[in-house]
Amino acid sequence: MKKRIISIIISIIGVAALCMAQDAGPSEKSKSEKSATVVAFEDRVKQYVKLREKIEEAMPNLSKEAKPEEIEAHKKAFQDKVRTARVGAKPGEIFTPDIISHIRATLKREFKGKDLKDLRETVLEAETKGVPVRVNYPYPQNKELVEMPPTLLLALPELPKQMRYRYVGKHLLLVDRENGLIVDYMVDALP
Amino acid sequence: MRRLMASAFAIALIIACSPIENAFSQNGKSGVTKEPARVNLPLKDGSVRFVVIGDTGSGANAQHEIAEVMLKYRQLFPFEFVLMMGDNLYGSESANDYKTKFEDIYKPLLDAKVKFYASLGNHDESNQRFYDHFNMNGNEYYSFKKGKVSFYALNSNYMEHKQVKWIEDELSKDNSEWKICFFHHPPYSSGKSHGSDKQLREVVEPIFVKHGVDVVFTGHEHFYERIKPQQGIHYFISGAGGKLRPGDVKASSLTEKSFDKDLSFMLVEIVDDQMHFQVISRTGATIDEGVLTTRESKLKATTK
Repeated sequence: MKKRIISIIISIIGVAALCMAQDAGPSEKSKSEKSATVVAFEDRVKQYVKLREKIEEAMPNLSKEAKPEEIEAHKKAFQDKVRTARVGAKPGEIFTPDIISHIRATLKREFKGKDLKDLRETVLEAETKGVPVRVNYPYPQNKELVEMPPTLLLALPELPKQMRYRYVGKHLLLVDRENGLIVDYMVDALP
Repeated sequence: MRRLMASAFAIALIIACSPIENAFSQNGKSGVTKEPARVNLPLKDGSVRFVVIGDTGSGANAQHEIAEVMLKYRQLFPFEFVLMMGDNLYGSESANDYKTKFEDIYKPLLDAKVKFYASLGNHDESNQRFYDHFNMNGNEYYSFKKGKVSFYALNSNYMEHKQVKWIEDELSKDNSEWKICFFHHPPYSSGKSHGSDKQLREVVEPIFVKHGVDVVFTGHEHFYERIKPQQGIHYFISGAGGKLRPGDVKASSLTEKSFDKDLSFMLVEIVDDQMHFQVISRTGATIDEGVLTTRESKLKATTK
């Protein structure tokens, strides 16, 4: 009798341990997969930043007390040089399918109910009609820049200071903050 | 005949739907009933004196007119600097736009060495941070000090992790008597068009409360609103410095005072633990005024 009780307890412990191991397995695996996806995305962003930094370093410095003419000239020259260096750049070079799936899943998970309603209101109220959703095209100066709520930015992979996420309708753009070029974009990024 | 009537109807419709600044410009300067400037501020020696304006950069006649009123008031209330709540340049941002939407309009103030400290709105490119007259020193968010008052300019249009960490770190080290933050989007607002920015509030307000921010100035809404103190913080919206959304305030339980009938700006004077303010409309009329005290002095008063 005593032996049977002990064997039952051992079996229960064994089954529980197996279940726990199975539970931990996929979740740990998916976590590391997600990290790798984000790391790879960040690396691709850094590659772009490296290119634009190299170009900007070769240009005359923009003073922290610049005149409007200097700001305009610097932006224009910077834009032209980066556009030339990235001729033939295609959508999806930075927003690859794996990071797109990751971002969509993250936003779906993080924004529900009231939070999602608030996010959609913020993003969709902005006047961005007419912004060309095209790689290597400048974000038009006369168009509004959608406010990116802090809760949203905390959910998205962090970007280097030179880069910005911007929404145009439901599409999420990666924009260079100094030269204003659309570096890449993903469609349907708003849950 | 029908075509003529249709054209007349279309023209009438366009005029009826024109933004308010166009209506002002049709009236011209003579269309504005000016009131004599009257300053109800203490004008104490050594006080910190400034102006708060927001959503200015339209370049329209209305912006010129309100700037003239600011200038007139400066003769009676010599303010040292101006805080800008963002949307400093609407539309394009060419060198000429900096001239027509900012420099030409505030030239007498710039000539008088009045400093402008800008924050960025949803119509402003990041490159404005390099512009000498905006005194941002190449930063989208920054701080500066005047006497016992610390000012923090934030970029609410892109409140990323780094900025949140920066403001928390800076405020935690700051022992100033007054801590004032200014940025574009209002955490509290009774505006019909935009309303309170709850997502921003969720992140910044706990930091402000924790580190004793006394006053928050914002814009974005094209009107003036003084919010009832929230968690000990005084929130103001001063977003009618160049554009107006008439009738856009839906007075709510948040509203202490609001004004959406004309353009406006704020005159502020800080004397020791008191902040005096007077809000002026485009006609020169006073539309709100009052005195606030620091959180700390309020606390002392209640524990006495």
